[in-house]
Amino acid sequence: MQSFQDLMLKADISFSYPDGTRIFDHLSFTADEGEHLLILSEPGSGKSTLSRLLAGALPGYTGGNLDGYAEFDGKDILSLPPYERMEIIGRVSQNTDEMLLFSSVEEEISFPLMNLGLETAEKDRRIADCLELFGLEKYRKVSTAELSGGEKRRLMLSILFAVDPCVYILDEAFDELSPYWRKKLREILSGLDRTVIVLGSHMLSEYDGVFSRMLSIENGKAVQYVPVKDSYTPLEMKTGNSVLKAENIEIERIHRSSGSSFGLSVPSFEMGEGECITLLGDNGSGKSSFSRVLSGLLKEKSGRVLINGKELSQKERRHSVAYLMQNPYEELFLPTVLDELNSTGADSSRIDYVLSLFSLERDAYVQELSYGKAKMLQAAVFFLLGRRFAIFDEMDSALSSVDFHRVLSCYLDNGTAVLVITHDMSVASMLPGRKLMIEGGVLDEH
Amino acid sequence: MNISSYIYGTSFYHRFDVRPKLFFTFLFSALSFALSSYISVALVFLIPIAIMILSVGGKETWRCYSRLIPLFLIMILFIPLQNRDGNPLLVIHGFTIITAEGLWSVMKIISRLGGISGVLMLLLLTERNEDIIKGLRAFHLPYNAALAASMILRYIPYLGYLFSEIRASMSLRLEEGKRGYPVLPSITALVIAAIKMIPDTASALEERGFGRVKPAKDAIPHPSGYLIQWLFGAIIPLSLFLVR
Repeated sequence: MQSFQDLMLKADISFSYPDGTRIFDHLSFTADEGEHLLILSEPGSGKSTLSRLLAGALPGYTGGNLDGYAEFDGKDILSLPPYERMEIIGRVSQNTDEMLLFSSVEEEISFPLMNLGLETAEKDRRIADCLELFGLEKYRKVSTAELSGGEKRRLMLSILFAVDPCVYILDEAFDELSPYWRKKLREILSGLDRTVIVLGSHMLSEYDGVFSRMLSIENGKAVQYVPVKDSYTPLEMKTGNSVLKAENIEIERIHRSSGSSFGLSVPSFEMGEGECITLLGDNGSGKSSFSRVLSGLLKEKSGRVLINGKELSQKERRHSVAYLMQNPYEELFLPTVLDELNSTGADSSRIDYVLSLFSLERDAYVQELSYGKAKMLQAAVFFLLGRRFAIFDEMDSALSSVDFHRVLSCYLDNGTAVLVITHDMSVASMLPGRKLMIEGGVLDEH
Repeated sequence: MNISSYIYGTSFYHRFDVRPKLFFTFLFSALSFALSSYISVALVFLIPIAIMILSVGGKETWRCYSRLIPLFLIMILFIPLQNRDGNPLLVIHGFTIITAEGLWSVMKIISRLGGISGVLMLLLLTERNEDIIKGLRAFHLPYNAALAASMILRYIPYLGYLFSEIRASMSLRLEEGKRGYPVLPSITALVIAAIKMIPDTASALEERGFGRVKPAKDAIPHPSGYLIQWLFGAIIPLSLFLVR
């Protein structure tokens, strides 16, 4: 094991949410200068809460009862206001949308640098360097709302690297990145001499060799991570008669803020009822746009979508194809878990069954769910709706492998056809069925 | 609140410097309350539409104004309650539905709402957020106030964007054969999201160092035709007084 010179961060934290739920009970850990630490644990165990507490986003405006300390260089950072911590600790949030505030990529990076009091030349240098590091140069003037999920993640990484704090916290930052960018991030982190804490829900092959220690969070305490070999029952596809087809689809999306555009061609796509298809492709290649076309949320430039030979209008597709968006909070808006499930029109016995199937708490507030739990709820909502076709847009990110397998298995056992979009090659290799790929603006067999 | 209304373009209004543009926006909005002739009130409504069509095209203009139509309809529904003792224009079974004064009063409100919303939308459609902040600071507004003002300007369009997202999401849950979207749950969802966004935004700003230093003011160079732009910004709104 690599040895480190100085102890950099020492924490012992207890925290309860405003409703009294105790999430950490003397969660203790240390990190040395330059050490790379991986914290792997189940969704809902408190990983994001930990990163928010250290960065100062919690208790903040949300409230909660915080006890303990997080000492950096002999100083308790928990007593500092968030803006005083930015040179000490910076984080990449799991939910990128909650952190993006401005109207262009450049402005997002420029804002914290301006608050560091940097000269214009230094600010410009750092912006250019980080945009280049994460391949975002061409998006400099683009609105952040027009970026794909993976591009937003790279933007958050650019902001963190531009500020360059002493401790980097990456909350599920590998998720939603394409295999190329995961490898690239791995290389960047390996060469980084800062203290790095990566939080994750499941093991990724890209983590190999990057970390000196691995921890887990169990019952509110930090414990040594013990790898567990997950065992799964094989996924089975139950074929049915319905067929979803897309013919000669052309999608054009224009970045309104910069005038640039990108296009995607889908000469032919076919998914039979009960089938499982995996869709791969780089960040921003158009996977989500194609999903939006299939589910009727986006109008294609040309082409048609059919079920059993009948052409569907944009609105008709919404009733036939479930689209589980990359960011679950983009489609969960009601106050409680029960409200969300009730909105599907399902009866109470079925709702009870689904609550247990997806390990959800009936009265939990949606906005207080962890990202992973929100994904489970999203899956539960569409499971109740019983669509014959479903699209999982990076559903595996933020879920443990066991949970993802469970969700997919529920859908496939139900005879639902599932188009799984993923960047995780180990997940893709585990899935049954065909593999498709978007490359060079065309969707084709992989 | 990662929404930008800015649309890339090279129209004459895009090329306008942000300072005269801000001046025009606020002068036009303020003077719309002082105008009283029929034609000037109509112009308050129509001028921003004309500039918007020239700047971002008819489709985008329709997209912006179509969001205001429900508000216009609500105002029209309230006509019977306006100036009930005025000169009757429409009477049914002895009950005065519309008076000339009531109609005129509602038309003025609609014109002002459309005009002010129009010039504000024009500002957001043709100017990046960072330039709006620079422009406000050029009018000696402190940085924090300029940042807050630029965010408030984007808050309402953002809610519009959020509502369309919620509607789309809700429409994915409709049973086959049903159309539209559930109105009450969608509005509830919007209120929750709008309220939650305030502490989230404040927290994200602080985490990025807001309040740490007093940022220096960036100098904005004067573009060519700067004086003409100022004249445009002043003459258009003021000339509405001359219209009778």
